[in-house]
Formats: sequence, structure tokens, C-alpha cells
Amino acid sequence: MPHSLTFTAELKNLPVLRRFVSEISSKYQARREVIDGLIQAVDESATNIIVHGYQGRPGKIEIQMTLEEDSLVVRLWDQAPLFDPTQIPPPNLALPLEERRFGGLGVHLARHFTDQMTYQVTPDGNNELTLRKKINPNNPGPG
Amino acid sequence: MEIKVTQEQGRVPVTVFHIEGDIAADTYEQLEAQAKQSIQSGASNLLLDLAKVPYVSSYGIRGISQIFSWLRDQSKGEDDAALSSGLRDGTFKSCCLKLANPSPQVLKALTTAGIDMFLEIHNDLDKAIASF
Repeated sequence: MPHSLTFTAELKNLPVLRRFVSEISSKYQARREVIDGLIQAVDESATNIIVHGYQGRPGKIEIQMTLEEDSLVVRLWDQAPLFDPTQIPPPNLALPLEERRFGGLGVHLARHFTDQMTYQVTPDGNNELTLRKKINPNNPGPG
Repeated sequence: MEIKVTQEQGRVPVTVFHIEGDIAADTYEQLEAQAKQSIQSGASNLLLDLAKVPYVSSYGIRGISQIFSWLRDQSKGEDDAALSSGLRDGTFKSCCLKLANPSPQVLKALTTAGIDMFLEIHNDLDKAIASF
């Protein structure tokens, strides 16, 4: 059964979100490194929705977590203007510091700490971001 | 997030921030403000003790980079051309800002973001202080 959390799109709510991801991941007995990586990916994604999506306007973010086969799956929905973060190119870390753009760093970290990040527009025209992370990365699984 | 500031004496005076709590979009401005205040009060060597920091987000990393820039602006001895070249080829490390005791996840985030390309990261606080 999925676990859900809905919160207003404000930075002050990020600690609640991080605790939620930690607690639900622990319920599924995920390893520490899996939990930590998922917290990073979800927090970075929600931060981008709050800062770049809503841009200070009032709004909500809904999150749902569940276990599907061998992966923890987190879905985030928001009603901010449509934006596909999976299209953000990775930052060029070889550039001198002054020339780096930090705007894409959150997406880079979210991508790095998950196994899959996908985006779609919901039938009612909202953003849906899905993050997947294997609950036991060393288990090759069936077959 | 709480920041306890101590003054340590290695070969040079070192200001140590013992940080407790996450450094994320909801807290990084507090770290920047504390650093700005310390730099304006004369601190020129800054060590961030991350032993009690469970999580650093991209905003926290941006804050750490900002502190590096402030300390670099203050430093008179660094050659800009040599610095840019060193940053590009990975041979430059900041003289004035260093990190200590990151957790495994924090270390992964820092290295994935490329922070270790210009900041030393130590596992021992005393050795970190002595390295300035």
C-alpha cells in the first residue's frame, strides 16, 4: 500500500519530507546507503519544484512512496508550470568554478542517487516525477 | 541547524564551524551568514566540521562554494590565472577553506558535485587543523 504525504511548497517543509522518506524507506528495510541516496534525490527534486516551479507562488506537492518489485518508487506531483527535469543536461564539472552553473546540480545529484528518473504530464495537466531506487543493489534478482 | 564556532591554533589560527543538522535549501543561508560574519571579523582560515551533518544538498554545496569565493576574494596572495588553471586541471586546493569528517553520504554528494576538486576533505579534525 502506498504511503502519501502532501505539503505546501515551502522550503521550511523540506525537513518533514526528508523524515518521511527516511521513515518509509526504513519500514521497507532499505539499507542505510539506499535511504540516504533516496533522501537526497527526493529533497533535491522537491527543492527544484519549490524554487524553480512555484517560484514563491502558493502551491502543493504530493508525494507517494511504495515498493514495486525490487525498487522503492517515489512519485511527486505538483501543479507548477510544466517542466521536465530529466531534460536538464549534466553540469560540466570540469569548468572553472566561476563558470559553473549550480542550477542543474540538484538534478545531477537526484539522477546520480537513483536508478531511474522519469517524467510525465498527468491527464489533468500536472507534473509527475518518478524516482526509482533498488532496495538491495547487490541482489541480482530472479533470473 | 546549529553552528558552534571555536578558534583553534595550528601553524596558523583556524576558525572551526562545528555544524549540527542538515545543510539544505532550508538552512544553507544560516551557514553563509555565519561565515560572512566570521570573515568580516577577521577569520581567514575556515574549517567546516561536518561530523554531525547527516545531509548536504546542492544548496548546501552552493553555500560552501560561496564561502570559498568570499575567502578567495579576501586573500591577496593568490594569482588569478594560476588559480583558474589549477581549478581546470585539478591541481588547486584552497588554502583557506577545508572540510572535515563528512558522513559517507555527505562525502558522496560532495564528490559527485566536484567539491573535492578544489577543497581538501579530511577524516580527522586535528589533522585538518594542522594542515592549514
